[in-house]
Amino acid sequence: MSLLSVRGARRVFQTPEGGRLAALDGVDLQVGAEEFVTLLGPSGCGKTTLLRAISGFEALDEGTIHLQGADLLRLAPYRRPVNTVFQSYALFGHMSVARNVGYALEVRGMGRAARQARVDEALEKVGLSGLGARAIGQLSGGQRQRVALARAIVAEPRLLLLDEPLSALDRNLRQQMQLELKALQARLGIAFVFVTHDQEEALTMSDRVVVMRKGRIEQIGPPREIYRKPRTRFVAEFIGETNLFDLDAQGRTPEGLIFAVPNPPAARFTACLRPSDFHLAEQGIAGVVTKVVYLGADLHLYVQPKVGGPELRVTARDHAAAPVVGAEVHLGHDPEALHLLEA
Amino acid sequence: MRSLLTLWSLAFFAFIYAPLAVIVAYSFNANPVNMMIWDGFTLDWYRGLFGAAVERPASDALYIENTDQLLAALRTSLTVAFFTTTIATVLGTSLAIALGRGRFVGQKALGGFLLLPMMMPDIVLGIGLLIFFLTLGMQLSLLTIIIGHCTFLISYVFVIVQARLAGLDPALEEASADLGASPFVTLRKVLIPQLAPGILGGALLAFVISMDDLVITYFIAGTDNTTLPVFIFGMIRRGVKPEINAIATLIILSSVVIAGLGLWLRARKTPA
Amino acid sequence: MRQSTFLAALLAPATLFLGVFFLGPLLIIAVFSLLTPGLYGGVEWSFYHQNYGRIFGWADGIMEIYEPVYLQILLRSLGFAALTVGLCLVICYPVAFWVARLPPRARLFCLFLVTLPFFSSLIVRLYAWLLILKPSGLLNQTLLATGLIQTPLEILYTQSAVVLGLVYVMVPFMFLPLYSAIDNLDRSMVEASMDLGANRVQTFTKVVLPQTLPGIIGGAVIVFIPSVGNFIVPDVLGGAKGLMVGNLVEQQFLSARNWPFGAALAMIVMGVVLATLLYASARARSAAHA
Repeated sequence: MSLLSVRGARRVFQTPEGGRLAALDGVDLQVGAEEFVTLLGPSGCGKTTLLRAISGFEALDEGTIHLQGADLLRLAPYRRPVNTVFQSYALFGHMSVARNVGYALEVRGMGRAARQARVDEALEKVGLSGLGARAIGQLSGGQRQRVALARAIVAEPRLLLLDEPLSALDRNLRQQMQLELKALQARLGIAFVFVTHDQEEALTMSDRVVVMRKGRIEQIGPPREIYRKPRTRFVAEFIGETNLFDLDAQGRTPEGLIFAVPNPPAARFTACLRPSDFHLAEQGIAGVVTKVVYLGADLHLYVQPKVGGPELRVTARDHAAAPVVGAEVHLGHDPEALHLLEA
Repeated sequence: MRSLLTLWSLAFFAFIYAPLAVIVAYSFNANPVNMMIWDGFTLDWYRGLFGAAVERPASDALYIENTDQLLAALRTSLTVAFFTTTIATVLGTSLAIALGRGRFVGQKALGGFLLLPMMMPDIVLGIGLLIFFLTLGMQLSLLTIIIGHCTFLISYVFVIVQARLAGLDPALEEASADLGASPFVTLRKVLIPQLAPGILGGALLAFVISMDDLVITYFIAGTDNTTLPVFIFGMIRRGVKPEINAIATLIILSSVVIAGLGLWLRARKTPA
Repeated sequence: MRQSTFLAALLAPATLFLGVFFLGPLLIIAVFSLLTPGLYGGVEWSFYHQNYGRIFGWADGIMEIYEPVYLQILLRSLGFAALTVGLCLVICYPVAFWVARLPPRARLFCLFLVTLPFFSSLIVRLYAWLLILKPSGLLNQTLLATGLIQTPLEILYTQSAVVLGLVYVMVPFMFLPLYSAIDNLDRSMVEASMDLGANRVQTFTKVVLPQTLPGIIGGAVIVFIPSVGNFIVPDVLGGAKGLMVGNLVEQQFLSARNWPFGAALAMIVMGVVLATLLYASARARSAAHA
């Protein structure tokens, strides 16, 4: 049985212009007991609304949320056995680090001495041992992030909610924290529901990624599946770079490019091919390089096919004889890599 | 819980506005003897203010002896407020700019000191100015009132303009200097236009407070000059008379207009 | 024009003006409070400490008589001011909370409503209370008509009337700093507290109140200071029973003509004000360092 179970969640907001906006439009989601699940999508897709509905700061119009079989929606936020790491961290500026971390225990009436041990333990888990006496104002951004994390795990919730907690950190620190969060989650043995709009972050950390769009779930799956086998055009375009082709039953684009499709699902369908699935070859799709973006080990090429149609994006290794703008190239691809979208 | 809060808040606004409503309502009450007992609608008190003879049964209700006195008090108030506003705005703004952009010894201390005039109870400042002027042998006059008002209104303007200045990017002035403008030209062409809403707001506030000041004026006005608040204070001390309601209503009305104007000015600034 | 000349041109006029016409009067009060009162008003320029002695109890008993009433009135003024602060706080805090939760347009309108009385004349607003509290005033008429009371209440010219008047006049000054503190309160703080298991009362006492404390202290200071030295409110609504130190000062200057004694009283008011300000700024500084 899953730890968290969301069924038929609907939430409609009134927009300032008087319109109605479905932030959640029939969402079903199961989260396992030790699973790291990421809600991914552009802003306004409903991922934060879903998180806030679980934590209790947003009501649902329809649907249910159960945690270990108990109905969460009937509980006030402060009675729910879940804790949240807020995007802004929401650290209490008038309290020391230790009091912030011990807050959940303090309000449950635990004595000072008993708290101390748990606070120290939590601080140690996030790598902040010995900083308990500091004031919040003396901490760096990364340290604040860790305090927020320690504060949210001190009461040992079964489920931790994280609302874009890394968005305020710079790139290096963010990548480091991604690994640490993943490790922490494994060590604690609890479930994480992590909200982000950064697809790289989602792919790096998650056991499963939930891609959301306009209040609906587009696809749920492990990172590799989301990347390699997107179900919809939206998922294909949102996760990483991709080339999309509208094909007919013979595997032809309107311009006349031909792909090998053993079992065409319909008279018209869409297929996708990642830039890294193309390679420079002796024969294949003929085209002219229009732009070269240098990425270090790799090059990103924009290739205009001779027959016309949209430019293709191609990843190639950088080496001395790599193509330059204006070069004529042929592109081959692994037939297995061509993925057919369902919608 | 939520509705309790709403109820409390509505009671709060009723508490603030009920007294004003009472005045306005009773300014139209025809009863000259006990103005709290409704006796029919009249505009007599307003007419009386503007000099029309009011026929009333002889009673001990003493009406304004002389409309000229009232108008003179209003004129004095306006004159004082005009000069005070001008002086306080210029001095307060220059202080704000000097403290906001300059660097000099004692800057912090001066900034703290400038808050004092706002916090000093007006009775202390009032009697201080009184002894000061009399000891120096100055005649109490319009000039002393204006000086007295400026002593604390400079601070009000300073605080408001300073707040505006704090929200202003110093790079604007650096850009101006970079493009070859002298400090004076930068002040005139960049800083003052950017500060205009703050300066205007400060001036408006200075004007309103000057018009309304009672305590300080009360001590330093001398016998020849009476401002409107001091005049009304005197009337109230001599006993409550129906005309006061009419004067008070007109004052409330003009303050609503001024406050509305201030709000409109601010609202007009934002969308651009 | 050189930068420093420019700066001096901006600074000099205003600093000079305030140096003369603001510091001058304060200094001269200090000097006068230590001079001998003249026989027919005015002063004699000789040192005299019994102006303070009359208040604090070391008067010689011949020329100057110690009257505990001055100290009583002084303490009463402090008490009234403290009571005004407390009442304003209790009245305003829920309203500020309510307003902060309104939609933006309604919020602006409410702020406008709160500030509007500030733009209308102080004396006019006090006068309104005179009309309401009079024995034959609106309040008594209403209460008599509804049968809640049989004989008119004596409210006007009592201490309650003074405190009521002070609260009425000061309420906007408490509201605005409170509102801005509550409005600045990060809502995620409240959510974080509840998320961590604190109920509404715990969240209020442990998070909301401490986080809005700067607004509370700010409001308390700007209500307390003008209340202590107020003389218009007790003059209009207080009568003899509601005298405050401001009335004493006024009497010494305009009727009793004992300027040095009045100056001594004013010095005490000034001392209270400065002490309050120093305390508040020390608190603000320690809060900023924490």
